Amino acid sequence: MFTNQQINLDSLPSIDDVELKPISKQYLKIIVINRVFFYSLLIAALFFAKFMVVHENFHMAFWYLLSVCVFLCVLNFVGAILAFKKRKYAIREEDVIYSKGLLVNSISAVPISRIQHLEISRSWLSRRFNLATLKIFTAGESGIDLRIDGLNYAEAKQINDFLSKKVNETD
Amino acid sequence: MKPIDFSHPARQSSKGILVIFALNTFKFIRRFFVLFLALGLSLSKKESLSFLTTTNLTLIILGVFLLIFIVAILKYLNFKFHLDQDQFYLSSGIINKDMTIIPKSKIQNINIKQNFIQQMINVVSLTIETAGDDKAEIEINALSRATALDLKKQLFVKKQITDPDVIDEPFQSIVFFKASIKRLFLEGISQNHIKSFLIIVSFVFGLYNEFENYLQDLGISDRLQSSVNFETGSILSLILANVFIVGLAILGSMLFSIISTFISNFNLEVVENEDTIEINKGLFNKLSLILVPVKIQNIIIKTNRLKQYFGLHTLSIKQAMINKKQQRNFKIVALEKHQVAHLVQKVFVNYNGEGTFEKPDVYYIRLLVLRSLIIGAFINIPAYFIFGNYFWLINIVIISWIVLFVHFTYKKSSYQITDEYLTINNGFIDRVRNISELHKIQSVELKQSIFQKRRNIASIYVATASDKVKIPYITEEKAKSILDLLLFKIES
Repeated sequence: MFTNQQINLDSLPSIDDVELKPISKQYLKIIVINRVFFYSLLIAALFFAKFMVVHENFHMAFWYLLSVCVFLCVLNFVGAILAFKKRKYAIREEDVIYSKGLLVNSISAVPISRIQHLEISRSWLSRRFNLATLKIFTAGESGIDLRIDGLNYAEAKQINDFLSKKVNETD
Repeated sequence: MKPIDFSHPARQSSKGILVIFALNTFKFIRRFFVLFLALGLSLSKKESLSFLTTTNLTLIILGVFLLIFIVAILKYLNFKFHLDQDQFYLSSGIINKDMTIIPKSKIQNINIKQNFIQQMINVVSLTIETAGDDKAEIEINALSRATALDLKKQLFVKKQITDPDVIDEPFQSIVFFKASIKRLFLEGISQNHIKSFLIIVSFVFGLYNEFENYLQDLGISDRLQSSVNFETGSILSLILANVFIVGLAILGSMLFSIISTFISNFNLEVVENEDTIEINKGLFNKLSLILVPVKIQNIIIKTNRLKQYFGLHTLSIKQAMINKKQQRNFKIVALEKHQVAHLVQKVFVNYNGEGTFEKPDVYYIRLLVLRSLIIGAFINIPAYFIFGNYFWLINIVIISWIVLFVHFTYKKSSYQITDEYLTINNGFIDRVRNISELHKIQSVELKQSIFQKRRNIASIYVATASDKVKIPYITEEKAKSILDLLLFKIES
């Protein structure tokens, strides 16, 4: 029988009530290592250039370039560390929620019934720290695909199993 | 008419060899065009390749053509398809044998096309698309029109009628809409001419780049200069010349818009079948597209002041994973308002377009003003170099533009969530309405910058399999309750 009862908006499960869980602290290390690697490479390249280039103007500009580099580096680090606290996720009965972003905060929700497939990927570094990235794909190219970085490998597997079981149930 | 039996593997019409041959030749020439050009140039310059006498050359060309022809025949021979209760089978490939199976229920749309060659030998090509890939999965190059129509019909029939005696009342196909020449003409006139202008400009520039050397040799630029500089002194002639150029550009763009509208929408026809919608159009490339309402993700209705005055509405239909080029074809132009409403109802059965629309927060105005002011300020920099000290005059134009832009953009922006549908209106000159079904939503996202957080403003992004729409800048509470509601609707 078709029913069409009015929905009481207040009685709906609210996103505010969801307790979002932070991702593994270990992942901060990976972020830091990646950044350190990138910036040390950049600064090393600058120093290398300093000893190789003989042109006068370059030596004048060198300190400016270096200070810009260091400034960006510090800014990036502070940003990354502050933004790290914003990376949170939650699994509800019917959907997966992921929140991220310091300057632009976003909360994405993907209903489990809409999940097309799941993927766990682990880079070389994340294997060292026993972490994993869980990717959740929906249909269509424009879809909001979720990518939850820095989960404990065991936890990622657990979530993956739970979600795939749920997805297969609905079919 | 007796339905054709597709249950046994069959080849396409033997004319298919010709079509495949033509297609492959075309592809071959296009791929090696540069090579041919280079070869031709080196031949004409040097005699190093002297062994290539005329006879040898003809032999080589003939050989290549023969090879392509043999490949075409082999391709034709190895291309077989058939149909059973609920699946479509296709086997193809000369050396690598491919077997493609498509369940009928997964077919998203079937297009019947006819290009120039196919028009000459009177066959059509039929493509079958699913949501899986953005390329057409199956293309049958040559079928007689009757066969193609029959195959199409059988592909869309859910269960084949087992008893041939019991044929239930066939649904009368209604030609629901036919665009008259006059309406197409009006549609062409009310197009966005700036787009056409840009296309023409880029085309001319492309040509100029290509043939720059030749033009320099001919000394056209000198001649042009001498003809333009006939009376440098008089301002009147300068103004006249400028007006003439601008007029020419406008006229050219308009003509281009009208012609392109005509070519792609010639004989536009919308046919209503029992549970599909058919679009037929095209002058050189005759297209016939069949849409299944269930597979349609969302609908976009576009019009503007001028078009509304003429009663012209454009309806675009979006499906999952259709490539950009194909997407353009799912557009029905020059529809009357009630026709739009009817078509929308055909796809979204319970949609009525009634109810109140809610507006974004006033914050949206502030954001629009800020954004356009930044852009306006940047325009001042090149303006200073062009106009010198009078550059500030340009701000009069910019500011009035900003006022109009912000006013209309905010005025046209609104949204509505009903029991089953999400409708979003936006646009500056155009009036764009985007309708999607709630249970086809794939995911929802709430976005908020730190500036918005202080003012409790947030935006919601809603993704379907074909599109991502935005409910712009509403209060945080409202955004969260919308998020909750949408998730509830999808999940329940």
